[in-house]
Amino acid sequence: MEEKIITRRDFLRVTAGAAVTAALGTGIPAGIRAEPTAKVVLIRNAEVLGRQGKVQGEILQSMVDEAVKNLLGTKEPMEAWKRLFKSSDVVGIKSNEWNTLPTPKELEAAIKRHLLMAGVAEKNISIDDRGVLNNPVFLNATALVNVRPLRTHHWSGVGTCLKNYIQFVPDPWAYHDEGCSPLGKIWTYPIVKGKTRLNVLSALTPQFYGRGAHFFDKRYVWPFKGLIVGTDPVAVDAIGAHLLQTKRIGFFGEDRALDVPPIHIMTADKKYHLGVSDLSRIQLIKLGWMEEVLI
Amino acid sequence: MRIAVLFVIMVWMFTVAGTVRGKEKGKGEGEGKIGQEISLPSEIADWKWDGKEMMYDSKTLFKYIDGAAELYLTYGFQNLTVRRFEKSGRLPIIAELYEMDFSEDAYGVFSFEHQDEDVGIGQGSEFGGGLLRFWKGKYFASVYAEGEGAEVESGILEIGRAVANSVPATGPAPKLVGLIPGKNLGLVDKSVRYLKSHVLLNQRFFIAHQNILNLTRKTEAVLAQYIREKQKVQLLLIRYPDLKEAGDAYRSFMKVYLPEAGGKDRLTTEDRKWTVARQRNEFVVIVFGAPTEADAEVLLKAIEEKLRVGR
Repeated sequence: MEEKIITRRDFLRVTAGAAVTAALGTGIPAGIRAEPTAKVVLIRNAEVLGRQGKVQGEILQSMVDEAVKNLLGTKEPMEAWKRLFKSSDVVGIKSNEWNTLPTPKELEAAIKRHLLMAGVAEKNISIDDRGVLNNPVFLNATALVNVRPLRTHHWSGVGTCLKNYIQFVPDPWAYHDEGCSPLGKIWTYPIVKGKTRLNVLSALTPQFYGRGAHFFDKRYVWPFKGLIVGTDPVAVDAIGAHLLQTKRIGFFGEDRALDVPPIHIMTADKKYHLGVSDLSRIQLIKLGWMEEVLI
Repeated sequence: MRIAVLFVIMVWMFTVAGTVRGKEKGKGEGEGKIGQEISLPSEIADWKWDGKEMMYDSKTLFKYIDGAAELYLTYGFQNLTVRRFEKSGRLPIIAELYEMDFSEDAYGVFSFEHQDEDVGIGQGSEFGGGLLRFWKGKYFASVYAEGEGAEVESGILEIGRAVANSVPATGPAPKLVGLIPGKNLGLVDKSVRYLKSHVLLNQRFFIAHQNILNLTRKTEAVLAQYIREKQKVQLLLIRYPDLKEAGDAYRSFMKVYLPEAGGKDRLTTEDRKWTVARQRNEFVVIVFGAPTEADAEVLLKAIEEKLRVGR
């Protein structure tokens, strides 16, 4: 059987109301099966960025607390962390060290602190990005925390949680084709498969537009002062991409096209079954500061 | 700040660790001569070169650009030279000079991301968000800073001018670009892209996830946006090496993209707009999203007329 070639017209059909699942050949129309759902927490605090954008560690820590508590539906934050992690776990905190817009150190520290409080031994916790393939903790990890900033990206449309695992393969460039559609495949490899307990997108200062290889542009960064948190990486990414799209529409008066549409998020859902990309099936819990929340 | 910050850190790491993949040269080694013809500046408007020069080839470029090297490699990348300029009390300015196979390739890299206003440097330039990009001859350059402010922006432009002046020869832009209709038919400023692969085409205008137009390094394509009746229309012009390859590509496109066209060269697609495709000798021309057939015809006929005149 010939492979279905996805064309622009398939996307036009989706816009016109037809089911995208048909275009992607997943075969099961919506409504016949019980659709999975996902829960994502968006938390914001107007004071989390101080003078000159300095991250306020204590406030950020409280945001992480509230987000995880609400995500798991527990009374206390630590109860939630203990549900996510066992004291015997070996935990890799997969961060992002892109210097222009890195994962804030304060956010890495807040996550590590919670893991320690949950009883995970310090020697069994490591924070890394490009060195994960040579890091003993990551190589022996029983659990992962995926934390990175929210931004646009030259090859994948958006740089979000799914994209953050590209350092787990020795040949990242082999995953760039078709808007990085194969990214979801990485999540099926033994080094990460089934290990990710928590995904955190730092939306403190997201970048909503960019173009080309030099894809950071300070004109397109804004102090949103939020975190997007979930256990489902696809849902977290879908919310992140939606936020950036909404900001672009507000800023430019149109959804100005990215270098590539972030189709890898939908592919991660429909092809690799890593989570939920359909916004209508994502329960978004919004907490904290709501001014110009956009979504 | 831009990706340059990472690059600079990487340069530092490599320098300290002694594990650099790109070649580093100091002032004493060739005095900054690039190849046989380029001599980059050492000091411009109180910005001083730090004396180190990083050079990358097609095998080591990935180490520097970290995930974005494909763009340059697609356009016949030869080598990259990076210099860092410092000034007391200021964050550094980074100058990158990419040598490509041909001037058309340098134009292509420039056109691919072109969006800001021209500042009159090289044969085509833009400056915005603290990033200067320009092309001259077979060289493409970008200059940017870790810091910001009027003094830094002035430094970026001065260094850019000096780098451009160090490139002795100009070169032609792709002839294919001269075949597309101009502003009189609604061409949008800064929308012209010169493309050498279907991956890059899809990044600017997604057509199909497979290479249904058979684009290769031997083909060349121009994508441009027009405004017709207040609506965006995309025009794609491709030149193939010969008539047969153009014919094969045209039939492939019609079969996959417009299978219901029934032998005609046009169809209204799901957005209720017209897609019209035509082969003329070794050229294939496609108009996407025209509000009416007449709008598509106007653009197609303008190209056909230029092709006739050019023969």
